[in-house]
Amino acid sequence: MKRIFLIGVLVLGMVLPGVALAQDAFKIGVVTSLSGDLATGGNVTKRGYDLWAKDVNARGGIEIQGKKYPVRLVYGDDQSQAAQAASAAERLSVQEKVDCVLGPYASGVTLAAAPVLEKYKIPMITGSAESPLIWRQNPPFKYTFGTIPPVNFTGSGVIKSLKALPDGPKTAVIYGTNDAFSKATAEAFQATAEKEGIKVLKFNIIPVKQDMTPLMSAAKALNPDLIAFGGHDEELINLVKALVQIDFTPRFLLMHYGVTEPAFIEALKKNADGVLGGSVWNVNMDIKGQIGWPTAKAYADAAMAEYKVPSDYTQAGCSAAGLAFEAALKQLAVPPPLDEAARTKLVSILEKIDIQTFYGRVKFAEEGEFYHSNAGLTPFTVQILDGKEMVVAPVGLAQAKLLYPLKPWKQR
Amino acid sequence: MLTLLPQAIIDGLLLGGIYLTVSIGFSLAYGVLHIIDFAVGEWIMLGAFLGLYLTAWTGWDAMLFLPAVFVVFAVVGWFTQPLIQRVTSGAKGRPVLMALVFTFGLALTFRGAAQTVFGIFTHSLPTELAAGSWYWELGPFMMTVPLVRLAGLVYALAITVGLTYLLKRTDLGLAIRAVAQHKDAAGLMGVNIQRTNAVVYSLYVGISAMTGVFIGAIISLNSGMGPDLSLFAFFVVVLAGMGYLPGVPWASFLLGLIQSFFLIFFNPSWTLLAVFTVLFLILLVSPTGLFRKGV
Amino acid sequence: MPDTVWKKCVVVAGLAVFLLSFPLLVRDAFLLRLFTEALMWIGLAITWDLIAGYIGYLNFGHGVFFGFGAYTTTILFTKANLPFALSLAIGGGVAALAALIIGWPVLRLRGAYFAIATWAFGRAIMQLALVLDVTGGPDGMRLPPFLNPHFFAYVMLALVGATYIVLWVLLERAPFGLKLKAIREDESGSLAIGLNPAKLKLQALVLSAAPAGLIGGVYAYWITFIDPSSVFGDLVTDQAVVMAVFGGLGTLIGPAIGAVFFLTFKTYFWAYLSDFQVLYLIILGVAIAACVVFLPDGIWGAVTRRQEGRRALRKGLSLNQRAAAPPAHPSAAGTSVRPSVRPRDGEEE
Repeated sequence: MKRIFLIGVLVLGMVLPGVALAQDAFKIGVVTSLSGDLATGGNVTKRGYDLWAKDVNARGGIEIQGKKYPVRLVYGDDQSQAAQAASAAERLSVQEKVDCVLGPYASGVTLAAAPVLEKYKIPMITGSAESPLIWRQNPPFKYTFGTIPPVNFTGSGVIKSLKALPDGPKTAVIYGTNDAFSKATAEAFQATAEKEGIKVLKFNIIPVKQDMTPLMSAAKALNPDLIAFGGHDEELINLVKALVQIDFTPRFLLMHYGVTEPAFIEALKKNADGVLGGSVWNVNMDIKGQIGWPTAKAYADAAMAEYKVPSDYTQAGCSAAGLAFEAALKQLAVPPPLDEAARTKLVSILEKIDIQTFYGRVKFAEEGEFYHSNAGLTPFTVQILDGKEMVVAPVGLAQAKLLYPLKPWKQR
Repeated sequence: MLTLLPQAIIDGLLLGGIYLTVSIGFSLAYGVLHIIDFAVGEWIMLGAFLGLYLTAWTGWDAMLFLPAVFVVFAVVGWFTQPLIQRVTSGAKGRPVLMALVFTFGLALTFRGAAQTVFGIFTHSLPTELAAGSWYWELGPFMMTVPLVRLAGLVYALAITVGLTYLLKRTDLGLAIRAVAQHKDAAGLMGVNIQRTNAVVYSLYVGISAMTGVFIGAIISLNSGMGPDLSLFAFFVVVLAGMGYLPGVPWASFLLGLIQSFFLIFFNPSWTLLAVFTVLFLILLVSPTGLFRKGV
Repeated sequence: MPDTVWKKCVVVAGLAVFLLSFPLLVRDAFLLRLFTEALMWIGLAITWDLIAGYIGYLNFGHGVFFGFGAYTTTILFTKANLPFALSLAIGGGVAALAALIIGWPVLRLRGAYFAIATWAFGRAIMQLALVLDVTGGPDGMRLPPFLNPHFFAYVMLALVGATYIVLWVLLERAPFGLKLKAIREDESGSLAIGLNPAKLKLQALVLSAAPAGLIGGVYAYWITFIDPSSVFGDLVTDQAVVMAVFGGLGTLIGPAIGAVFFLTFKTYFWAYLSDFQVLYLIILGVAIAACVVFLPDGIWGAVTRRQEGRRALRKGLSLNQRAAAPPAHPSAAGTSVRPSVRPRDGEEE
């Protein structure tokens, strides 16, 4: 009897922390993967969100009707699990009563959190999830937005820019690991390559974290001009090392997500040089922001001072997601806490929003295959040159010349 | 595609060499101490990080630090073993379970601590060997042997031979086998059980940590690498027959060859499906491992 | 005696009233979600314990049945447009069928080999779900959101409540439970007294798989999204194992208490102390180790002084059959559990 009573008390005890108080700040929920398999990426998103919160509060907060309201981030760790993402979203909605939500790192957990937020009519902007799945839902998620364009948009641009080279790739071998994002990346590479007339000699999806040496042996026998690979940080490093070990240097080596992550260059050192990637933002770009940080460089410096690591486009996309909320909330001009009508209005403002930030233009698509993802950016090609990530295509944005063919591993 | 056959065999054997390094110490520890050590992957991870810090500090080749890593972790193992001993013999009964749960807790603690101290990013251990490879062409066949992987295989085989020699040809080995066979009787015959157990555990921890340096050099390292390695160590040890040391190399090579053949000749996305199906089927056909010699 | 019976009735009635009225009294959707989640894990922990605690076989592939139910229900519901209730029923049936098919060969294995074989089977099925088209591969599958917290709380309550009652009647009130325990204590001995261990073990496995499959189907509709790692991943099994061991193996109430304790700790930690997330692993590790060292029969075993837990684990982790025989007297327990490992390489000479 006593035991059961005790358990009952423990369960009921969870109500207490959720008591809502009168707010003098915007309460913004963050659902992301702070632990579990996706913790690496999840913590990058956290850095981006935290940096924005710190910046906006340093500026005094968001000005509503002459009064400045700071923002307060409330975290919900999804533990890299769909069920916990839904649970975290529900807790932030009903107990914390957040005004809006900054979204998860990966697509699977986003797909589980989004319906819950739809139910409570709470807008969410994700600064990361790049999988096209999120925007392809039928019916679409009305309350979900994203500042990073989906990978089928980013990835196709890179292949096109390679094809446009005077002596571009004619044959390709394309691999992707078997997770939702990497598979979509590889499929985007394949579709564009075929459309652009690059012959795809081999297209394979492999298990996550698989040793890739045998696969590279098979690629070596086919001797393609281009090896394109969709995967995550650890797998990209392993793939380059496998290529070095079996001593095969394709003319072009293209990877997507993680080339732009500082750990990639740090781990591979000189072997990272010449590797290509797709991106939408880069520290060295000449972008002027009207809201928040004035330039990409100012943002990168602020991030460096705070975290002692260079910024990549995921982190920047997350900070930009914060800026999008900031701009929309200012335009909404309703002091916190926001009620359901105000939040619904916030969504229609977000749909119309068109701002210039340090990250580039933020303008969410209103329809079509990229519905509610950011259509304001131009995807470009980056290359690691002398240990730095440089934009090499398209012509208008390029900071350096695309270096090819890849320098043989043994001559480095 | 058949021109790739020699290469597939080479790749498979070299990959098997990595699995051999991961599981040989684990098999020894199980055979003698009856400890299913959940922390095997975490010992490997910690060894790899020690290697990383030493190379970053000195700028030397990672391979030079193998002895240092071995010594450091052998000492750590030496001092950890009495702790496990106390846990397994403190309460009445259930030493297998106690060790299992204690090392599971140890693994969680190590991983948590490593995430805090080393961060979550992936690193690579620098070695000159990594860039080297041998290449032949024989008619239509092309073969590449990556030196660093070959070194891994040689290391694995050397450890296996060394452990076999130790067990069969030395007094210490005799003592270890005696303890494995019947602890109490060995004690009565004058074997220092406490010391023998500590030696075995420190050997196992040292070998596992050294393996970490190889894995960091051949593949990569991060604070979350442990569970996957433990998984493959279990796989190999069960396939070999639990506690049956001579079966470990064959089980490792089988695991490596299945992977390389699926990646090269069949559908690569089915690789892990094949691996686990094979383990499942072998256990059904031969319930105590490949050689029916497990306990 | 009548006094204790009366007391028991009051406790059971009180619990029933609490469980039935909780969803009505609580307006907070997050609490209802936790309520549903707790029920779900109670269901998974007691069905795992049916095999582990009562027969002494550690099934590390329990999540497979959960996953079979989740995927079957989702595929039938979203692709074949069957009604949810029918999809769910078929999902449970498929899980039971899977248990029937793999149970026959796998249940011949002993101790650690059984554990590893079931784990390998689970991994293989997860990989299969990752490569097939009908499951959506790594993209997973979405179900139309029907986010009514009361509906799911009551469905889960009905499902897990029914499972609990059926298992309680079969295991604690019918000879079935005693027969299973006979297998746990001495498998060859049970054969000698005229039992059919092969058949009994298979029946138990099917009995543990069907509810797990049904729970998986409800989970899918409740969370609205499934993918191979979330329903076939190690987490489903691992968590059920921790809960059952923590609460006390070989009973029904033990794993249920373990599930509530574990979830309470976990939720408190993640929801309200997430700044200390790194400590989670460490605390959990230490807690589990401490629990088995100090409370080897789990929370419930410590309270009632029943020793079901250590008996089950002795069998599940023993590596040869004889070692599983109950010790003649308490002091012999230490030696009887240790597997008699001989260095075979020495013998070959």
